Amino acid sequence: MKIKYFAWIKNITNTDTEEISSNNIIDIESLKVYLCKKYPKLEDHLLNDQLIRISVNLEYVQDNIKLTNNDEIAIFPPVSGG
Amino acid sequence: MIKIQKEDFNLENEVNSIKYKYSHIGAVSTFIGYVRNVNTSKKVTSINLEVYEEMAIKSLSSICEQAKKKWNLIDSLIIHRYGDLAINEKIVLVATFAMHRKNSMEACNYIMDYLKKDAPFWKKEFYETNFSWL
Repeated sequence: MKIKYFAWIKNITNTDTEEISSNNIIDIESLKVYLCKKYPKLEDHLLNDQLIRISVNLEYVQDNIKLTNNDEIAIFPPVSGG
Repeated sequence: MIKIQKEDFNLENEVNSIKYKYSHIGAVSTFIGYVRNVNTSKKVTSINLEVYEEMAIKSLSSICEQAKKKWNLIDSLIIHRYGDLAINEKIVLVATFAMHRKNSMEACNYIMDYLKKDAPFWKKEFYETNFSWL
């Protein structure tokens, strides 16, 4: 699956896009566990719903939905456009 | 119509490009957001705007469709810029086109409120010696 990072999140991951392939990632929660291990500095943010927004295939998600290898997931802070 | 672009825009040209298509438009409401030189007492020198373009187009198109149905809009236009922007530059334009002013004004507010809350743009503010993400 493709993961995109935006704003200050990509300063922690040092990349704005990456492909992840792991049989352990089946839903949003298992993705968070994977990313917390890969990027320990993300952990506090990923566990705080006030600091992080997640989209799957261009739609905001709040529930622990299932993920597939074809999904595009984005992880970003609250928006500040306009 | 949704436009995500680096370039500046001309308000009159943008409004006219839609107005000329429909002679039954009686009201056009517009909102323009500009880069300010101050934010919470900090002196701002410039900003950078980042966007998740595919999601921005999808989410703004969706909200324009909702506004069109709710206020019987004839058309709508959103232009949101990204990249480096200097003080006094335009950031965003929302224009709504209807037969009557109440519809166009309320729809314009509605779209702008949604844009501020949900559209995937991020602002990085630069000060004289540092910066911060908003």
